[in-house]
Amino acid sequence: MLRDAYDLSFYEFDDERDAKEYGVLLCDVVHGRPPMKPAYIGIGWYWYYHGIRYAAGNLSLPTTHGWDSRFVNGYPYITAIRTTPEEAREREPVFREKIKPFLEDFDGVWDPLKADLLKTYKEAKETRGLKEWDDIKKLSNHELLSFFLDFAFVINRKEGETHFYMLMAAYYISGLFQEMWRNMFGQEAGIDPNYHRLMSGFEASDVAFTRGLWQLGRKAVGLGMEDVFKKTDDSGVLEALKGSEAGRKWSEAYHEFLLEHGWRADRMHAYDYPTWLEKPSIGIARIKFMMSESVFPFDANRERVNRERQEGEKEIMVKVPAPQREAFGLLMKAAQKSGYWSEDHGYYCDLYIGAMGRWILTEFGRRFAKAGCIDDVEDIHYLHPNEIRKAAVPLGRINLRPYVERRKKLHGQYLEMEPVPFFGDISQAQLVLRSDPTLSVSTQLPIVREELKADLYGAAAAPGYAEGTARVIMSSDYLAQVQPGDILVAPGTSASWTVVFSVIKALVTDGGGALSHPVIMAREFGIPCVSGCVEGTQKIKTGQKIRVDGDRGVVFIDNK
Amino acid sequence: MAEKWLYWLEDLGKEQNELVGKKCANLGEMARIGLPVPRGFALSVHAYTHFMDETGATQEIAALIEASSVTPEDVAGVNRLSLAIRALVESKKIPAAMESSILSHYNGLCERCGCADAAVSTRSAGAVSHPGQYETYLNVKGGAEVLEKVRKVWASTFNARSLAYRLRKGLPVASGPIGVAVLEMVKARSAGIAFSVDPNTGDTTSMIVEANWGLGESVVSGELTPDRWVLDRETLAVRESFLGKKEKMTCFISAGTVERETPPEKACAFCCTDSELAEIGRLAMHLERHFGVPQDIEWAVAEDRPFPNIVLLQARPAVVIKKSAADAVVDMMLGMFRS
Repeated sequence: MLRDAYDLSFYEFDDERDAKEYGVLLCDVVHGRPPMKPAYIGIGWYWYYHGIRYAAGNLSLPTTHGWDSRFVNGYPYITAIRTTPEEAREREPVFREKIKPFLEDFDGVWDPLKADLLKTYKEAKETRGLKEWDDIKKLSNHELLSFFLDFAFVINRKEGETHFYMLMAAYYISGLFQEMWRNMFGQEAGIDPNYHRLMSGFEASDVAFTRGLWQLGRKAVGLGMEDVFKKTDDSGVLEALKGSEAGRKWSEAYHEFLLEHGWRADRMHAYDYPTWLEKPSIGIARIKFMMSESVFPFDANRERVNRERQEGEKEIMVKVPAPQREAFGLLMKAAQKSGYWSEDHGYYCDLYIGAMGRWILTEFGRRFAKAGCIDDVEDIHYLHPNEIRKAAVPLGRINLRPYVERRKKLHGQYLEMEPVPFFGDISQAQLVLRSDPTLSVSTQLPIVREELKADLYGAAAAPGYAEGTARVIMSSDYLAQVQPGDILVAPGTSASWTVVFSVIKALVTDGGGALSHPVIMAREFGIPCVSGCVEGTQKIKTGQKIRVDGDRGVVFIDNK
Repeated sequence: MAEKWLYWLEDLGKEQNELVGKKCANLGEMARIGLPVPRGFALSVHAYTHFMDETGATQEIAALIEASSVTPEDVAGVNRLSLAIRALVESKKIPAAMESSILSHYNGLCERCGCADAAVSTRSAGAVSHPGQYETYLNVKGGAEVLEKVRKVWASTFNARSLAYRLRKGLPVASGPIGVAVLEMVKARSAGIAFSVDPNTGDTTSMIVEANWGLGESVVSGELTPDRWVLDRETLAVRESFLGKKEKMTCFISAGTVERETPPEKACAFCCTDSELAEIGRLAMHLERHFGVPQDIEWAVAEDRPFPNIVLLQARPAVVIKKSAADAVVDMMLGMFRS
């Protein structure tokens, strides 16, 4: 029996066949909760699954052809399409030549690719005479459809392929380095402060973007407008600034910033969240966090972090046996780059392409609703790309309600359900994960050491120790609730959370491994973090006193 | 006869490379430090030169070379010249005094080995190691045979590939003199090679051993797939073992050796025990420490002696192919997914 998957062909779970064929399918809660909506699954998310298979083939990964996936109750389940031993043997020599450029000159591979992505996005806008968010309204239905087709079948494909070509390489490299670390030093790299010392000090786009926000905040302070920001509600600040010359100047500068950098929404893998360019008050809220800091917190740490990294590099190389030093050094440099890439790519990949999807789908939603094809502009998120393209021209002839209603109802049900963690035989999980290190991105496991008698164990950690009061928030929508000195507890973090790292004392997250945003950013900002705890947001309550030990990857809850 | 022509191995050491060739000097050095090597003696480079000069071979070879206008690309021409020179050398009688000295050493060797007409090998020994460049003769018995084979080894300095090499490089066509090793044959139940490091990666945590049943020539020649082991250099424990096909093995016959098909029950069994491997490893490490560089050795398990019955047949510095760091990293990456 095939289970429903919003009519998305080949994502339907086959009760009788699938678990048997694949051994085990694991729920991707990291990306899949809350349940994604059909429109995003059919476009953006599809291109990621494609990207993984593309990368597996292009890089000739020895042990995997990519992921296979199913959607059950609206949640994604993933497994590896493993190669046969004969295929593995054939692929190895090709893989060798494909992966070497990443080892020898990682930046040389990434820099041209990200420049090309940016160029593609800009040309897509410029050739259509589009600059401002509302300019899309000027396109005719044909022009909008043409834009949609380019986006959904060409631009998004390029992003997906670039994204995963880089990601597979970065994860293989990092995975090997972490394994080598374990073999050589007997420690799990993710919770080893010495490992994190080596990986720190690389400025990714996320940091540059956050610094840009901080600079805007300081500019506002310099123009004497700190009070306006502090005393006015986020949504009212821009209105309030209109009243003065300085305020208008600042707003212009902010708008220029958003035109360039505002192509991002707070949820990366969705089209139903507003972008910063679309809703500038999002950025205002973030700017408020940092505007009182006279030095950008990341920069304050720079010198120390770089010095410690260099010292760490020297110390480590001495411990490596002489014949292995050159290889280890090469791998270490590539692993450092992989960590940097892990935070750098979001700007050029997930965030930008998601914003373009938001842009185009929102406009279609508006037009379909106006023409009476759907009841509500938000209903667009329940349609598939083939339905959108077929109903777009002439617009208004097709009633899309039946397709929306069925899927909207199901989505509503799925929102209330707890996903089953896996289908099949969990003892096969290690085998599946081994064949593809990217799978471990979506499945982290806490490193339990019973002798520490901790309340929570992490899969990874950023070094340091802190005690304080917990603040539990479940999405970046509630960032404004975070007070300076809080220990933030969250399901996970991403680029939109970065600003808050400058005010919190420590961080605890349910998800996230050694290459995840919470760990990398916390490390760069010099605050302790324990990630991958699984149950942090369940066990900890706002107001509780907790202790975060990032040197050992554990959390203690004091007044339970 | 100002220079000496013959030496017992135990009177030689590594300082005599130029005198008797590296192979003999190393065997002598190993004997000197108490390592198990075959009993035997060496002919020095002076023996070669004396033979060539005294018999007139030197002049006649020079004449042959001058008369021929052969170029290195002329394969047939090089072959003809080579055959002519070798036939010439082999036709010359070894001068009486030298012959007598060789025979008396051979008889001395027979006494030491406790048998008349002891089986020996005659092997070329140049000052610079060129594996497989000249001839080796195995299972040689009796004084007359020894004399004949010594002469053939000398003649092999004019084999076709060496001639072509010297012609290509613009070197003097007449070869420099070489030494000759005359060694008791080891009754090899199994034999092979060992590297005290991994020659493909330079990995200094492991060493490699390869072996087959019978005499070691089948392994050295690289013509078949031998058994292969990776040992830990420190513990000498076997880390990995690979069963080779071992399709053929080199066996003794009454005079000389022959290649035979390996019986199936032998082909599918490892030809060495773990304790033999550990002993081979121990010897290789001992040599590496003594010579100060990684070693490439040939050895045999002598079936007529009790354990430890490993005999070292040759030792020279290992040529290690240095892999690029990137390739070494890829090796590790592939290993991550294999087991």
